[in-house]
Amino acid sequence: MADQTSRPGRLIAVDGSRGADVVAEATRVAERLRSRGVDCAISRWDASGLFGELLQADPEALVVSPRMLTLLYAADLVFRLRWEIQPALAAGRVIIAAPFVHTAVAVGVGVGLPAAWVQDVLRFAPAAAALRLTRERKRGRGWRPSPARGYAECCAALLGAAPSGLKRRKARSRAVAWLAAAAEAGEGSSRKAIVKAARTQEQLAGSGAPVARADSQRT
Amino acid sequence: MATAAVRPPDLAQAIAARDPARGLLIAFEGPEGAGKTTQLRLLKAWLRSEGHDVVSSRWASSPLVKPLIAARKRLRILTAEEYSLLHAADFRHRLETTILPALWAGKTVIADRYLFTALTRDAARGLELDWLLQLYAPLVWPDLVVYFALGARDSSRRVAATRAPRFYESGQDVTGLDDPLSSYRQFIDRVITDYENLAVIFQFVKVDASQAVYRQHQQVRRLVQSAVRRPWPEFSNDALIEWLTRHPDQAA
Repeated sequence: MADQTSRPGRLIAVDGSRGADVVAEATRVAERLRSRGVDCAISRWDASGLFGELLQADPEALVVSPRMLTLLYAADLVFRLRWEIQPALAAGRVIIAAPFVHTAVAVGVGVGLPAAWVQDVLRFAPAAAALRLTRERKRGRGWRPSPARGYAECCAALLGAAPSGLKRRKARSRAVAWLAAAAEAGEGSSRKAIVKAARTQEQLAGSGAPVARADSQRT
Repeated sequence: MATAAVRPPDLAQAIAARDPARGLLIAFEGPEGAGKTTQLRLLKAWLRSEGHDVVSSRWASSPLVKPLIAARKRLRILTAEEYSLLHAADFRHRLETTILPALWAGKTVIADRYLFTALTRDAARGLELDWLLQLYAPLVWPDLVVYFALGARDSSRRVAATRAPRFYESGQDVTGLDDPLSSYRQFIDRVITDYENLAVIFQFVKVDASQAVYRQHQQVRRLVQSAVRRPWPEFSNDALIEWLTRHPDQAA
């Protein structure tokens, strides 16, 4: 295992306006990487359990604001960086952070926060080597936006109960528009380009590329 | 109940109109053992006897976030950033659900520690002040910040007289010392230095916490009686507009 620490790891971010799409895309990227012999893991939202515990609270007392949720997202991201992302990078693995910074900014903008503030709060996050921005997929029959599906769904559920009544559709369309603008500015990469970048890294490190290894993230 | 949307210019007008009738926000700051809680109780009782409606808010007491922090503190797994972010979330929750509604309703609010506690403790943990201020933005500025000044030795002595300092309170996560009291002495020294710096920047009013309790209380009474309000439209507009946007029923 000693050789692993000398290999440079690689951080890939997968972001989007809906948690279900982010998880599905991260799984697809990971499968593609593994099929090409690249060792990778996925770091998912709420690894710290902060949001899970918050959702257990008495619904009557569950009055939250967009800023409070952003701060909790940032605390969760610090946890993921410490326990999942940085150890994987130190071991020379490819780690897919799904979601990462863009999701929080898009969701924040959707619910009325200034993008600059969210970016400032999350400025401790390292830059990702590559970013994949997901497009919203058509929902299947019977699909319900459960708050446990992802950060965007959680925010919509919790903020929807606020006195002002968050306009979910408007919030989502603003988040989608912000991500579309980021994609247009050339921030996102294609799945193919991400796989290529990750493989190149693995080859540069001169590895024998250990193939499938269990994901370190929680499910 | 659906409430008609109130546009930002109207909100600004609502804030300016409410300012003369709103409550006073008083923050008590200072190291452990300085007697803030005792002074808060005395001031609260006195203000009530004078006919004021008084609400107090303690540090890290949000019913939603406190359990999240407490569980992680018990496990001692918090990094400086997590510690800071969770306390900022706790503060935001109390600000929006307790402090602002009370001020808007004309009640006096006494905060047993405000954001300055976080700034000093987190800066002593090595975090950037600029980033810390961002976590608390936009802010509702207190009208009066009373700083109960006490030296590191006196603070350590007073804390040691009643209990052993807790893991994060004593800064053991940053000092790496096994003995809580030795760690506390080292940590509180840095915290007090930061308090002294903030006292100048943010114009705290100092009360010598080594004086007799009643003498301090007399001084606090005089400070509260002569406190000058910081006009909301000038100091706290952004925070209030954001809060009112989410609570249009208050502005109506």
